[in-house]
Amino acid sequence: MKTQTGNKLKLGVFVTLGILLFIIGIYFVGKKQNLFDTTFGLRAVFKDVSGLQPGNNVRFAGINVGIIDNITILNDTSVRVDMQIQQDVKKFIKSDSRAVIGSEGIMGNKILIITPGSSGRIVKSNAFIATTAPINMDDILKNLKTTIENAAVITEDFSKITQSISSGKGTVGKLFMDSSFAKDVDQTVTNVKKGTQGFQENMEAAKSNILLRGFFRKKEKAKQEQQKENEAAKDSTSKTKKRRK
Amino acid sequence: MARHNLYDSEDEISEKTPKIPFRHLKSFFLEVSLITSFSFEFFRQLFRKGFEFSETAKQSYKIGYNSLPLVAITGFIMGLVLTMQSQPTLKNFGAEAWLPAMVGVSLIREIGPVITALICAGKSGSGIGAELASMKVTEQIDAMEVSGTNPFKYLVVTRVVASMLMIPVLAVFADAIGIFGSYIGVNLYGDISFRLFIVQVFEKVEFMDIFPAFIKTFFFGFAIGIIGTYKGYNAENGTEGVGYSANSSVVIASLLIFIIDLMAVQITSLFSY
Repeated sequence: MKTQTGNKLKLGVFVTLGILLFIIGIYFVGKKQNLFDTTFGLRAVFKDVSGLQPGNNVRFAGINVGIIDNITILNDTSVRVDMQIQQDVKKFIKSDSRAVIGSEGIMGNKILIITPGSSGRIVKSNAFIATTAPINMDDILKNLKTTIENAAVITEDFSKITQSISSGKGTVGKLFMDSSFAKDVDQTVTNVKKGTQGFQENMEAAKSNILLRGFFRKKEKAKQEQQKENEAAKDSTSKTKKRRK
Repeated sequence: MARHNLYDSEDEISEKTPKIPFRHLKSFFLEVSLITSFSFEFFRQLFRKGFEFSETAKQSYKIGYNSLPLVAITGFIMGLVLTMQSQPTLKNFGAEAWLPAMVGVSLIREIGPVITALICAGKSGSGIGAELASMKVTEQIDAMEVSGTNPFKYLVVTRVVASMLMIPVLAVFADAIGIFGSYIGVNLYGDISFRLFIVQVFEKVEFMDIFPAFIKTFFFGFAIGIIGTYKGYNAENGTEGVGYSANSSVVIASLLIFIIDLMAVQITSLFSY
Protein backbone atom coordinates (compact mmCIF):
# COMPACT_ATOMS: atom_id res chain seq x y z
CA MET A 1 0.00 0.00 0.00
CA LYS A 2 2.86 2.32 0.86
CA THR A 3 4.59 1.78 -2.50
CA GLN A 4 1.29 2.37 -4.27
CA THR A 5 0.94 5.80 -2.65
CA GLY A 6 4.56 6.48 -3.61
CA ASN A 7 3.81 5.51 -7.17
CA LYS A 8 0.77 7.74 -7.24
CA LEU A 9 2.90 10.61 -5.95
CA LYS A 10 5.50 10.00 -8.67
CA LEU A 11 2.74 9.87 -11.28
CA GLY A 12 1.33 13.14 -9.96
CA VAL A 13 4.72 14.86 -10.15
CA PHE A 14 5.27 13.45 -13.63
CA VAL A 15 1.92 14.64 -14.97
CA THR A 16 2.19 18.05 -13.29
CA LEU A 17 5.64 18.62 -14.75
CA GLY A 18 4.42 17.59 -18.19
CA ILE A 19 1.46 19.93 -18.09
CA LEU A 20 3.69 22.72 -16.75
CA LEU A 21 6.13 22.30 -19.65
CA PHE A 22 3.21 22.36 -22.07
CA ILE A 23 1.85 25.56 -20.55
CA ILE A 24 5.30 27.17 -20.68
CA GLY A 25 5.51 26.30 -24.37
CA ILE A 26 2.07 27.75 -25.03
CA TYR A 27 2.98 30.86 -23.10
CA PHE A 28 6.13 31.40 -25.17
CA VAL A 29 4.24 31.06 -28.42
CA GLY A 30 1.35 33.17 -27.17
CA LYS A 31 3.68 35.89 -25.94
CA LYS A 32 5.12 36.12 -29.43
CA GLN A 33 1.64 36.48 -30.91
CA ASN A 34 0.61 39.12 -28.36
CA LEU A 35 -2.17 36.91 -27.00
CA PHE A 36 -1.49 37.88 -23.41
CA ASP A 37 -0.73 41.56 -23.99
CA THR A 38 -3.22 44.36 -24.42
CA THR A 39 -3.15 45.54 -28.00
CA PHE A 40 -4.70 48.20 -30.17
CA GLY A 41 -5.62 48.09 -33.83
CA LEU A 42 -4.07 50.00 -36.70
CA ARG A 43 -5.05 49.91 -40.35
CA ALA A 44 -3.36 50.66 -43.62
CA VAL A 45 -4.45 50.40 -47.23
CA PHE A 46 -2.00 49.12 -49.81
CA LYS A 47 -2.25 48.72 -53.53
CA ASP A 48 -0.16 45.55 -53.36
CA VAL A 49 0.87 43.68 -50.21
CA SER A 50 3.47 41.54 -52.06
CA GLY A 51 2.86 38.33 -50.15
CA LEU A 52 2.19 39.68 -46.65
CA GLN A 53 0.19 37.16 -44.60
CA PRO A 54 -1.85 37.31 -41.39
CA GLY A 55 0.53 36.54 -38.53
CA ASN A 56 3.52 38.34 -40.05
CA ASN A 57 5.39 40.65 -37.71
CA VAL A 58 4.95 44.39 -37.49
CA ARG A 59 8.13 46.31 -36.74
CA PHE A 60 8.63 49.75 -35.31
CA ALA A 61 12.18 51.04 -34.87
CA GLY A 62 13.47 47.56 -35.63
CA ILE A 63 11.51 45.88 -32.83
CA ASN A 64 8.67 43.42 -33.32
CA VAL A 65 5.74 45.23 -31.76
CA GLY A 66 2.78 43.39 -33.21
CA ILE A 67 1.36 41.13 -35.86
CA ILE A 68 -0.79 41.35 -38.96
CA ASP A 69 -4.28 40.44 -37.86
CA ASN A 70 -6.19 40.37 -41.09
CA ILE A 71 -5.83 41.16 -44.77
CA THR A 72 -8.96 41.94 -46.76
CA ILE A 73 -9.26 42.95 -50.37
CA LEU A 74 -11.42 46.07 -50.77
CA ASN A 75 -11.39 46.46 -54.53
CA ASP A 76 -9.06 45.87 -57.45
CA THR A 77 -6.57 48.54 -56.38
CA SER A 78 -6.68 48.45 -52.60
CA VAL A 79 -6.04 45.88 -49.90
CA ARG A 80 -6.73 46.68 -46.26
CA VAL A 81 -4.23 45.39 -43.71
CA ASP A 82 -5.31 45.25 -40.05
CA MET A 83 -2.57 45.14 -37.43
CA GLN A 84 -2.53 44.40 -33.72
CA ILE A 85 0.11 46.49 -31.97
CA GLN A 86 1.18 46.34 -28.32
CA GLN A 87 -0.49 49.03 -26.26
CA ASP A 88 2.76 50.21 -24.66
CA VAL A 89 4.31 51.34 -27.96
CA LYS A 90 1.24 53.37 -28.93
CA LYS A 91 2.70 56.55 -27.44
CA PHE A 92 5.65 56.39 -29.87
CA ILE A 93 3.62 56.02 -33.05
CA LYS A 94 2.64 59.41 -34.43
CA SER A 95 -0.37 60.08 -36.61
CA ASP A 96 1.78 60.73 -39.67
CA SER A 97 3.74 57.48 -39.40
CA ARG A 98 3.88 55.46 -42.57
CA ALA A 99 3.60 51.72 -43.16
CA VAL A 100 5.98 50.00 -45.56
CA ILE A 101 6.17 46.34 -46.48
CA GLY A 102 9.64 44.89 -46.21
CA SER A 103 11.16 41.47 -45.73
CA GLU A 104 13.46 39.70 -43.30
CA GLY A 105 16.46 39.15 -45.52
CA ILE A 106 16.22 37.77 -49.03
CA MET A 107 14.53 34.49 -48.18
CA GLY A 108 12.75 35.59 -45.01
CA ASN A 109 9.14 36.34 -44.24
CA LYS A 110 7.45 39.57 -45.21
CA ILE A 111 7.16 42.16 -42.45
CA LEU A 112 5.30 45.42 -42.08
CA ILE A 113 7.53 48.29 -41.00
CA ILE A 114 6.05 51.39 -39.37
CA THR A 115 8.34 54.37 -39.92
CA PRO A 116 8.25 56.99 -37.16
CA GLY A 117 6.37 60.21 -37.87
CA SER A 118 7.20 63.76 -36.87
CA SER A 119 3.87 65.30 -35.85
CA GLY A 120 3.07 65.84 -32.19
CA ARG A 121 -0.17 63.89 -32.23
CA ILE A 122 -0.24 60.23 -31.22
CA VAL A 123 -2.04 57.82 -33.49
CA LYS A 124 -5.60 56.83 -32.55
CA SER A 125 -6.80 53.25 -32.16
CA ASN A 126 -8.10 51.63 -35.34
CA ALA A 127 -6.93 54.65 -37.35
CA PHE A 128 -5.67 54.40 -40.90
CA ILE A 129 -2.05 55.32 -41.42
CA ALA A 130 -0.43 56.35 -44.68
CA THR A 131 1.48 53.79 -46.70
CA THR A 132 4.44 53.77 -49.01
CA ALA A 133 4.22 51.42 -51.97
CA PRO A 134 6.60 48.51 -51.57
CA ILE A 135 9.47 48.23 -54.00
CA ASN A 136 8.56 45.61 -56.52
CA MET A 137 11.26 43.30 -57.79
CA ASP A 138 9.84 43.57 -61.33
CA ASP A 139 10.13 47.36 -61.26
CA ILE A 140 13.74 47.06 -60.14
CA LEU A 141 14.46 44.71 -63.01
CA LYS A 142 12.73 47.07 -65.48
CA ASN A 143 14.84 50.00 -64.30
CA LEU A 144 17.91 47.84 -64.40
CA LYS A 145 17.18 47.04 -68.04
CA THR A 146 17.18 50.71 -69.10
CA THR A 147 20.36 51.26 -67.09
CA ILE A 148 22.05 48.42 -68.89
CA GLU A 149 20.90 49.74 -72.27
CA ASN A 150 22.29 53.19 -71.46
CA ALA A 151 25.53 51.63 -70.33
CA ALA A 152 25.78 49.79 -73.64
CA VAL A 153 25.41 53.06 -75.58
CA ILE A 154 27.97 54.80 -73.37
CA THR A 155 30.57 52.08 -73.70
CA GLU A 156 30.09 52.07 -77.48
CA ASP A 157 30.75 55.83 -77.66
CA PHE A 158 33.72 55.44 -75.37
CA SER A 159 35.24 52.77 -77.53
CA LYS A 160 34.88 55.09 -80.57
CA ILE A 161 36.66 57.88 -78.69
CA THR A 162 39.53 55.70 -77.59
CA GLN A 163 39.85 54.41 -81.12
CA SER A 164 40.15 57.93 -82.57
CA ILE A 165 42.63 58.87 -79.84
CA SER A 166 44.83 55.90 -80.57
CA SER A 167 44.78 56.74 -84.28
CA GLY A 168 45.82 60.35 -83.49
CA LYS A 169 42.63 62.10 -84.64
CA GLY A 170 41.32 65.27 -82.92
CA THR A 171 42.93 67.51 -80.31
CA VAL A 172 43.29 64.88 -77.61
CA GLY A 173 44.53 62.38 -80.16
CA LYS A 174 47.23 64.83 -81.24
CA LEU A 175 48.15 65.48 -77.60
CA PHE A 176 48.74 61.79 -77.01
CA MET A 177 50.05 60.64 -80.36
CA ASP A 178 51.82 63.59 -82.12
CA SER A 179 55.49 64.03 -81.12
CA SER A 180 55.70 67.52 -82.75
CA PHE A 181 53.42 68.83 -80.00
CA ALA A 182 55.94 67.79 -77.35
CA LYS A 183 58.67 69.62 -79.26
CA ASP A 184 56.53 72.77 -79.37
CA VAL A 185 55.99 72.57 -75.60
CA ASP A 186 59.74 72.20 -75.09
CA GLN A 187 60.40 75.30 -77.23
CA THR A 188 57.78 77.29 -75.29
CA VAL A 189 59.43 76.45 -71.95
CA THR A 190 62.80 77.61 -73.29
CA ASN A 191 61.24 80.89 -74.46
CA VAL A 192 59.63 81.47 -71.07
CA LYS A 193 62.99 80.92 -69.35
CA LYS A 194 64.63 83.50 -71.60
CA GLY A 195 61.79 85.95 -70.99
CA THR A 196 62.05 85.78 -67.18
CA GLN A 197 65.82 86.28 -67.32
CA GLY A 198 65.32 89.47 -69.39
CA PHE A 199 62.67 90.68 -66.91
CA GLN A 200 65.05 90.28 -63.97
CA GLU A 201 67.72 92.37 -65.78
CA ASN A 202 65.13 95.05 -66.47
CA MET A 203 64.24 95.19 -62.76
CA GLU A 204 67.86 95.59 -61.70
CA ALA A 205 68.18 98.42 -64.14
CA ALA A 206 65.05 100.08 -62.76
CA LYS A 207 66.42 100.02 -59.19
CA SER A 208 69.47 102.06 -60.24
CA ASN A 209 67.35 104.52 -62.24
CA ILE A 210 67.18 108.03 -60.75
CA LEU A 211 63.46 108.34 -60.87
CA LEU A 212 62.81 105.16 -59.00
CA ARG A 213 65.80 105.13 -56.63
CA GLY A 214 63.99 107.22 -53.95
CA PHE A 215 61.10 104.78 -53.80
CA PHE A 216 63.37 101.78 -53.30
CA ARG A 217 65.43 103.55 -50.60
CA LYS A 218 62.32 104.49 -48.63
CA LYS A 219 61.22 100.92 -48.75
CA GLU A 220 64.58 99.73 -47.39
CA LYS A 221 64.55 102.27 -44.53
CA ALA A 222 61.07 101.25 -43.47
CA LYS A 223 62.23 97.68 -43.42
CA GLN A 224 65.22 98.47 -41.18
CA GLU A 225 63.10 100.47 -38.74
CA GLN A 226 60.66 97.64 -38.52
CA GLN A 227 63.51 95.29 -37.72
CA LYS A 228 64.85 97.57 -34.97
CA GLU A 229 61.46 97.87 -33.36
CA ASN A 230 61.10 94.14 -33.39
CA GLU A 231 64.43 93.65 -31.73
CA ALA A 232 63.64 96.26 -29.04
CA ALA A 233 60.37 94.52 -28.28
CA LYS A 234 62.14 91.23 -28.02
CA ASP A 235 64.69 92.69 -25.59
CA SER A 236 62.02 94.15 -23.32
CA THR A 237 60.09 90.89 -23.14
CA SER A 238 63.28 88.96 -22.36
CA LYS A 239 64.11 91.45 -19.61
CA THR A 240 60.69 91.13 -18.01
CA LYS A 241 61.06 87.41 -18.15
CA LYS A 242 64.42 87.64 -16.42
CA ARG A 243 62.97 89.89 -13.70
CA ARG A 244 60.24 87.47 -13.02
CA LYS A 245 62.78 84.75 -12.64
CA MET B 1 7.01 -41.69 -55.11
CA ALA B 2 8.74 -38.63 -53.84
CA ARG B 3 8.63 -37.17 -57.29
CA HIS B 4 4.95 -37.75 -57.56
CA ASN B 5 4.43 -35.98 -54.27
CA LEU B 6 6.47 -33.05 -55.50
CA TYR B 7 4.27 -32.70 -58.54
CA ASP B 8 1.21 -33.05 -56.44
CA SER B 9 2.25 -30.29 -54.09
CA GLU B 10 3.25 -28.04 -56.95
CA ASP B 11 -0.12 -28.54 -58.53
CA GLU B 12 -1.70 -27.70 -55.25
CA ILE B 13 0.32 -24.50 -54.94
CA SER B 14 -0.37 -23.35 -58.49
CA GLU B 15 -4.03 -23.94 -57.90
CA LYS B 16 -4.02 -21.96 -54.68
CA THR B 17 -1.55 -19.20 -55.57
CA PRO B 18 -4.08 -16.73 -56.96
CA LYS B 19 -6.18 -17.18 -53.86
CA ILE B 20 -3.40 -16.33 -51.40
CA PRO B 21 -3.61 -12.49 -51.74
CA PHE B 22 -7.39 -12.68 -51.36
CA ARG B 23 -7.03 -14.89 -48.32
CA HIS B 24 -4.68 -12.28 -46.83
CA LEU B 25 -7.04 -9.48 -47.77
CA LYS B 26 -9.91 -11.39 -46.20
CA SER B 27 -8.04 -11.83 -42.93
CA PHE B 28 -6.96 -8.19 -43.09
CA PHE B 29 -10.52 -6.92 -43.41
CA LEU B 30 -11.65 -9.33 -40.73
CA GLU B 31 -8.94 -7.97 -38.43
CA VAL B 32 -9.96 -4.38 -39.19
CA SER B 33 -13.59 -5.12 -38.43
CA LEU B 34 -12.68 -6.88 -35.18
CA ILE B 35 -10.44 -4.01 -34.06
CA THR B 36 -13.20 -1.51 -34.93
CA SER B 37 -15.82 -3.38 -32.95
CA PHE B 38 -13.31 -3.75 -30.11
CA SER B 39 -12.87 0.05 -30.18
CA PHE B 40 -16.63 0.58 -30.10
CA GLU B 41 -16.84 -1.78 -27.18
CA PHE B 42 -14.13 0.28 -25.46
CA PHE B 43 -16.12 3.52 -25.84
CA ARG B 44 -19.31 1.77 -24.73
CA GLN B 45 -17.60 0.48 -21.61
CA LEU B 46 -15.78 3.77 -21.00
CA PHE B 47 -19.02 5.71 -20.54
CA ARG B 48 -20.64 3.09 -18.35
CA LYS B 49 -20.57 4.01 -14.69
CA GLY B 50 -17.99 2.52 -12.39
CA PHE B 51 -14.71 3.79 -13.78
CA GLU B 52 -11.64 2.09 -12.30
CA PHE B 53 -9.72 5.18 -11.22
CA SER B 54 -7.20 3.44 -9.04
CA GLU B 55 -6.34 0.83 -11.67
CA THR B 56 -6.07 3.56 -14.34
CA ALA B 57 -3.65 5.48 -12.15
CA LYS B 58 -1.60 2.32 -11.66
CA GLN B 59 -1.49 1.70 -15.40
CA SER B 60 -0.64 5.36 -16.01
CA TYR B 61 2.29 4.98 -13.67
CA LYS B 62 3.45 1.93 -15.59
CA ILE B 63 2.98 3.40 -19.05
CA GLY B 64 3.91 6.99 -18.28
CA TYR B 65 6.35 7.28 -15.44
CA ASN B 66 8.25 4.09 -16.20
CA SER B 67 8.76 5.07 -19.83
CA LEU B 68 10.11 8.51 -18.95
CA PRO B 69 13.83 7.59 -18.79
CA LEU B 70 13.67 5.86 -22.16
CA VAL B 71 11.72 8.69 -23.77
CA ALA B 72 14.00 11.30 -22.20
CA ILE B 73 17.17 9.67 -23.51
CA THR B 74 15.68 9.19 -26.97
CA GLY B 75 14.40 12.77 -27.08
CA PHE B 76 17.74 14.15 -25.95
CA ILE B 77 19.62 12.17 -28.58
CA MET B 78 17.14 13.12 -31.31
CA GLY B 79 17.53 16.83 -30.53
CA LEU B 80 21.30 16.56 -30.42
CA VAL B 81 21.62 14.47 -33.58
CA LEU B 82 19.14 16.57 -35.55
CA THR B 83 21.13 19.70 -34.68
CA MET B 84 24.46 18.12 -35.54
CA GLN B 85 23.13 16.75 -38.82
CA SER B 86 21.52 20.00 -40.00
CA GLN B 87 24.32 22.29 -38.89
CA PRO B 88 26.71 21.73 -41.87
CA THR B 89 23.93 22.20 -44.44
CA LEU B 90 22.60 25.35 -42.82
CA LYS B 91 26.16 26.64 -42.50
CA ASN B 92 26.56 26.31 -46.28
CA PHE B 93 23.54 28.55 -46.71
CA GLY B 94 24.82 30.95 -44.08
CA ALA B 95 21.62 30.34 -42.15
CA GLU B 96 23.05 28.99 -38.90
CA ALA B 97 20.84 31.41 -36.99
CA TRP B 98 17.85 29.37 -38.14
CA LEU B 99 19.16 26.17 -36.61
CA PRO B 100 17.25 26.47 -33.29
CA ALA B 101 14.02 27.40 -35.06
CA MET B 102 14.33 24.54 -37.52
CA VAL B 103 15.11 21.95 -34.86
CA GLY B 104 12.38 23.33 -32.58
CA VAL B 105 9.70 23.16 -35.26
CA SER B 106 10.68 19.69 -36.44
CA LEU B 107 10.86 18.36 -32.87
CA ILE B 108 7.53 19.80 -31.80
CA ARG B 109 5.68 19.00 -35.00
CA GLU B 110 6.92 15.57 -35.85
CA ILE B 111 9.87 13.96 -34.16
CA GLY B 112 8.84 14.38 -30.53
CA PRO B 113 5.34 12.89 -30.87
CA VAL B 114 6.24 10.13 -33.32
CA ILE B 115 9.42 8.94 -31.58
CA THR B 116 7.62 8.96 -28.24
CA ALA B 117 4.73 6.97 -29.70
CA LEU B 118 7.04 4.44 -31.32
CA ILE B 119 9.07 3.97 -28.15
CA CYS B 120 5.87 3.51 -26.17
CA ALA B 121 4.47 1.11 -28.76
CA GLY B 122 7.63 -0.92 -28.27
CA LYS B 123 7.72 -0.71 -24.51
CA SER B 124 4.12 -0.35 -23.29
CA GLY B 125 2.28 -1.82 -26.29
CA SER B 126 4.19 -5.08 -26.14
CA GLY B 127 3.86 -5.10 -22.36
CA ILE B 128 0.09 -4.70 -22.51
CA GLY B 129 -0.19 -7.33 -25.25
CA ALA B 130 1.93 -9.87 -23.40
CA GLU B 131 0.29 -9.24 -20.04
CA LEU B 132 -3.28 -9.60 -21.28
CA ALA B 133 -2.36 -12.52 -23.52
CA SER B 134 -0.84 -14.47 -20.64
CA MET B 135 -3.94 -13.69 -18.55
CA LYS B 136 -6.11 -14.91 -21.42
CA VAL B 137 -4.25 -18.18 -22.05
CA THR B 138 -4.12 -18.99 -18.34
CA GLU B 139 -7.87 -18.32 -18.27
CA GLN B 140 -7.57 -15.55 -15.67
CA ILE B 141 -9.85 -13.36 -17.75
CA ASP B 142 -12.52 -16.05 -17.73
CA ALA B 143 -12.06 -16.40 -13.99
CA MET B 144 -12.61 -12.65 -13.56
CA GLU B 145 -15.80 -12.87 -15.54
CA VAL B 146 -17.01 -15.70 -13.36
CA SER B 147 -16.17 -13.80 -10.19
CA GLY B 148 -18.42 -10.95 -11.29
CA THR B 149 -15.79 -8.33 -12.27
CA ASN B 150 -16.10 -6.85 -15.73
CA PRO B 151 -12.75 -7.86 -17.24
CA PHE B 152 -13.12 -5.53 -20.21
CA LYS B 153 -13.63 -2.57 -17.92
CA TYR B 154 -10.90 -3.56 -15.52
CA LEU B 155 -8.26 -4.61 -18.03
CA VAL B 156 -8.94 -2.89 -21.34
CA VAL B 157 -10.51 0.47 -20.51
CA THR B 158 -7.97 1.31 -17.83
CA ARG B 159 -4.99 0.55 -20.07
CA VAL B 160 -6.31 2.36 -23.12
CA VAL B 161 -7.26 5.45 -21.09
CA ALA B 162 -3.87 5.39 -19.37
CA SER B 163 -1.97 5.22 -22.63
CA MET B 164 -4.19 7.92 -24.19
CA LEU B 165 -3.41 10.25 -21.31
CA MET B 166 0.26 9.40 -20.85
CA ILE B 167 1.58 9.53 -24.43
CA PRO B 168 0.83 13.29 -24.75
CA VAL B 169 2.61 13.99 -21.46
CA LEU B 170 5.58 11.89 -22.55
CA ALA B 171 5.64 13.69 -25.90
CA VAL B 172 5.82 17.05 -24.11
CA PHE B 173 8.77 15.75 -22.11
CA ALA B 174 10.41 14.44 -25.29
CA ASP B 175 9.98 17.85 -26.94
CA ALA B 176 11.39 19.75 -23.97
CA ILE B 177 14.34 17.42 -23.50
CA GLY B 178 14.93 17.28 -27.26
CA ILE B 179 15.11 21.09 -27.38
CA PHE B 180 17.58 21.00 -24.51
CA GLY B 181 19.62 18.41 -26.44
CA SER B 182 19.53 20.71 -29.44
CA TYR B 183 20.85 23.53 -27.26
CA ILE B 184 23.84 21.39 -26.37
CA GLY B 185 24.26 20.48 -30.05
CA VAL B 186 24.28 24.14 -31.07
CA ASN B 187 26.86 24.88 -28.39
CA LEU B 188 29.19 22.23 -29.80
CA TYR B 189 29.77 24.50 -32.81
CA GLY B 190 29.36 27.97 -31.45
CA ASP B 191 28.49 29.84 -28.32
CA ILE B 192 24.88 30.87 -27.81
CA SER B 193 23.12 31.82 -24.60
CA PHE B 194 20.20 29.68 -23.47
CA ARG B 195 17.90 32.68 -23.53
CA LEU B 196 18.73 33.56 -27.13
CA PHE B 197 18.33 29.91 -28.06
CA ILE B 198 14.85 29.72 -26.54
CA VAL B 199 13.86 32.99 -28.21
CA GLN B 200 15.07 31.65 -31.56
CA VAL B 201 13.25 28.35 -31.08
CA PHE B 202 9.93 30.00 -30.30
CA GLU B 203 10.41 32.64 -32.98
CA LYS B 204 9.17 30.22 -35.60
CA VAL B 205 6.91 27.95 -33.52
CA GLU B 206 3.24 28.74 -33.97
CA PHE B 207 0.08 27.42 -32.32
CA MET B 208 -0.54 25.53 -35.51
CA ASP B 209 2.66 23.60 -34.74
CA ILE B 210 1.85 22.80 -31.12
CA PHE B 211 -1.84 21.90 -31.10
CA PRO B 212 -2.11 19.45 -34.01
CA ALA B 213 1.01 17.71 -32.71
CA PHE B 214 -0.48 17.57 -29.22
CA ILE B 215 -3.84 16.32 -30.41
CA LYS B 216 -2.36 13.57 -32.55
CA THR B 217 -0.49 12.15 -29.55
CA PHE B 218 -3.88 11.27 -28.01
CA PHE B 219 -4.63 9.22 -31.10
CA PHE B 220 -1.19 7.64 -30.93
CA GLY B 221 -1.90 6.68 -27.33
CA PHE B 222 -5.30 5.31 -28.29
CA ALA B 223 -3.75 3.21 -31.09
CA ILE B 224 -1.08 1.78 -28.77
CA GLY B 225 -3.61 0.96 -26.05
CA ILE B 226 -6.34 -0.45 -28.25
CA ILE B 227 -4.03 -2.66 -30.36
CA GLY B 228 -2.15 -3.94 -27.30
CA THR B 229 -5.33 -4.82 -25.44
CA TYR B 230 -7.04 -6.24 -28.53
CA LYS B 231 -4.12 -8.53 -29.32
CA GLY B 232 -3.82 -9.60 -25.70
CA TYR B 233 -7.53 -10.03 -25.13
CA ASN B 234 -7.89 -12.26 -28.18
CA ALA B 235 -4.73 -14.33 -27.68
CA GLU B 236 -4.89 -18.01 -28.60
CA ASN B 237 -2.65 -21.07 -28.75
CA GLY B 238 -1.20 -20.99 -25.25
CA THR B 239 2.31 -19.68 -24.58
CA GLU B 240 3.05 -19.34 -28.26
CA GLY B 241 0.10 -16.97 -28.53
CA VAL B 242 1.56 -14.70 -25.84
CA GLY B 243 4.69 -14.06 -27.92
CA TYR B 244 2.61 -13.57 -31.03
CA SER B 245 0.34 -11.06 -29.27
CA ALA B 246 3.26 -9.03 -27.94
CA ASN B 247 4.95 -9.01 -31.32
CA SER B 248 1.93 -8.21 -33.48
CA SER B 249 0.69 -5.49 -31.12
CA VAL B 250 4.01 -3.64 -31.56
CA VAL B 251 4.01 -4.07 -35.33
CA ILE B 252 0.40 -3.03 -35.89
CA ALA B 253 0.58 -0.16 -33.39
CA SER B 254 3.73 1.22 -35.07
CA LEU B 255 2.10 1.00 -38.46
CA LEU B 256 -1.05 2.68 -37.16
CA ILE B 257 1.03 5.47 -35.66
CA PHE B 258 2.45 6.28 -39.08
CA ILE B 259 -0.97 6.11 -40.72
CA ILE B 260 -2.43 8.45 -38.07
CA ASP B 261 0.55 10.75 -38.58
CA LEU B 262 -0.14 10.85 -42.30
CA MET B 263 -3.79 11.67 -41.69
CA ALA B 264 -2.84 14.30 -39.11
CA VAL B 265 -0.55 16.14 -41.52
CA GLN B 266 -3.28 16.13 -44.17
CA ILE B 267 -5.85 17.55 -41.75
CA THR B 268 -3.37 20.12 -40.41
CA SER B 269 -2.48 21.40 -43.86
CA LEU B 270 -6.18 21.61 -44.62
CA PHE B 271 -6.67 24.03 -41.74
CA SER B 272 -3.51 26.10 -42.04
CA TYR B 273 -4.11 27.34 -45.59
